[in-house]
Amino acid sequence: MESIPLTWEEVARVYGRKIYNFAYRLTGNPDDAHDLVQEVLLRVHRGLSNYQPGSFEGWLWRITRNAFLDDVRRQKRRPTAPLPDEVDRWSRASTESADTEYARISLGDDIQKALLELPIDFREAVVLCDVVGLSYEEISQAVAVPIGTVRSRIHRGRKILKELLT
Amino acid sequence: MIHPTEQISAYLDGELRGSERSQLMDHLSRCGKCSVELEQMQFVRSAVRSLPVLELPEGLIPQADPVVVPLRRHKGMWAGVAAAVVVAAIALAAIVTPPADEVSLQQLNSLVGARSTLDPAFGPAKVSISPLVGE
Repeated sequence: MESIPLTWEEVARVYGRKIYNFAYRLTGNPDDAHDLVQEVLLRVHRGLSNYQPGSFEGWLWRITRNAFLDDVRRQKRRPTAPLPDEVDRWSRASTESADTEYARISLGDDIQKALLELPIDFREAVVLCDVVGLSYEEISQAVAVPIGTVRSRIHRGRKILKELLT
Repeated sequence: MIHPTEQISAYLDGELRGSERSQLMDHLSRCGKCSVELEQMQFVRSAVRSLPVLELPEGLIPQADPVVVPLRRHKGMWAGVAAAVVVAAIALAAIVTPPADEVSLQQLNSLVGARSTLDPAFGPAKVSISPLVGE
């Protein structure tokens, strides 16, 4: 099986999309997601020269999480506002039409609002699992907690979501 | 009766194995409360996973100097076959059509390379990327 080195552009595009979805679902705010993606990609680019072969995903999500927490500490960010008011700002950077994007966002609006109600530790675990698609082992590495804690946070997060959504 | 509720989400996520899994399944067959919770967790899990995947807005990738990325993508057999077909098609097109703009390396890569294995659907499926070791 042949293998080909990846370019920075390819890595940034593939992982940037994942980071963007993670950040957007975690904050509910397109501007915050925008800033976080740029910050993480810069940190990843700077760190590549020192990166030791291993779990790239684990390394990347640790950077992402640290950048997010740094941002929270810096801004003392509150759980952010509902989405519809944000659509104009969000759609300026989107390749889709505003109407299409609005419909897509509105569809998941209740779920997004419910996510923002979760305590941050639970929200982070649920988003990494259900939005990003990481395994419990990968979440454990990224968040630096035992797998049992990951399991507990995901389940408790989902239980709260169930109460909020029904 | 002890209800192993936290194992229910792990079960749904395929994170429960061996005796732990069989014990939970046995419990679910006897416990209506946990069966209801299983259905509820399945609903919530599906709801979150149904959130639309957002495309990366244009212009978000910072301009950066070229850098050696310690990752490789693997081309499996079908990617190789696809590459051969595309190359053959390009060669044939070059023979039977008048000269046109050259196909850039980037365009060729986009046809046969990364997108075939780099998880274009952005789902739980893993990206076929591995660290560059020993080079």
